[in-house]
Amino acid sequence: MSLRLWFIALAHSALGQYMQNSKWGFAVVETFHLVALATLGGCVLFVDLRLLGLILKGESAPVISRDLSRLLLTSLVVMIVSGFALVSEEALKCFYSPAFRWKMALLAAAVLFYFTLHRRALLQTGKGTPTLWARTAAVVSLILWLGVGIAGRAIGLI
Amino acid sequence: MPLLQHLCQALYDSHIGTLIRESDYAFPIIESVHVLAVTLLIGTIALLDLRMLGLVLRHISITRIARAVFPLTWSGFVVMSISGFLLFWAEAAKNYSNPAFRIKLILLVLVGLNPLIFHTTIYRRVHEWEVLAISPWRARASAIASLTLWTGILAAGRAIAYF
Repeated sequence: MSLRLWFIALAHSALGQYMQNSKWGFAVVETFHLVALATLGGCVLFVDLRLLGLILKGESAPVISRDLSRLLLTSLVVMIVSGFALVSEEALKCFYSPAFRWKMALLAAAVLFYFTLHRRALLQTGKGTPTLWARTAAVVSLILWLGVGIAGRAIGLI
Repeated sequence: MPLLQHLCQALYDSHIGTLIRESDYAFPIIESVHVLAVTLLIGTIALLDLRMLGLVLRHISITRIARAVFPLTWSGFVVMSISGFLLFWAEAAKNYSNPAFRIKLILLVLVGLNPLIFHTTIYRRVHEWEVLAISPWRARASAIASLTLWTGILAAGRAIAYF
């Protein structure tokens, strides 16, 4: 089944119908999306600023990341679930939106990066000062996540 | 018309207000900055609040986390204030009678009072409790108030478009 048909199916689903017809349902779901955005962003910022060697110098970078990982991943799950509901409200518009496609691509990249190279950079840094490579990883992470946010904002505008 | 409403109308009708409101790019860009800077303002202070509740980073002292967080939170505050004021300027006349906007402002005042009280009372003695995994009840109360008020502000901000 083509991807476009999945989006159509989502629009016609019970969730889609509810989101399209409920004025306040959409607002409530989007508020969850916003709260999770704040906490996800806070975690990403905190970990990457440590990885850049700008805050909490001397504290173990991988320990900080592991400590915040539960909050970060919970926020991410909330964003994905609420995001799914938000898409169901205007599924086809999202399907055809270049901003939405960019957002999904950047999101996949950010998450993949988080679990692979980013993690390696953290482990390599330990309690010490980050190398150039580690700092690059932090900058890449920040750019990817910021890109997700900007693309998300662009969905409604482009 | 009350004076305040006059002022809001004047802002709304002004050259800059109209410019922001009717521009294809200005309002969306300013609004995007406002939404994304939420991370800088609320996301960072939330980490300090969660630390005081003993939910994250228990091995790091409160003061170390505060030192890391405060510059970020203040930067976020500056960005949010400027972008927020510009958004208000463009929509002032409409915001005047918007219940969600009024609630948001009241909550903003409260969320500003909370740290004022916190810093002049329990935080004065922070060195007595900064290494504790869970902070004293007064600090926890302030943390819970902070998290609740910020959530309310996010919700009220979202609701502005619905009135």
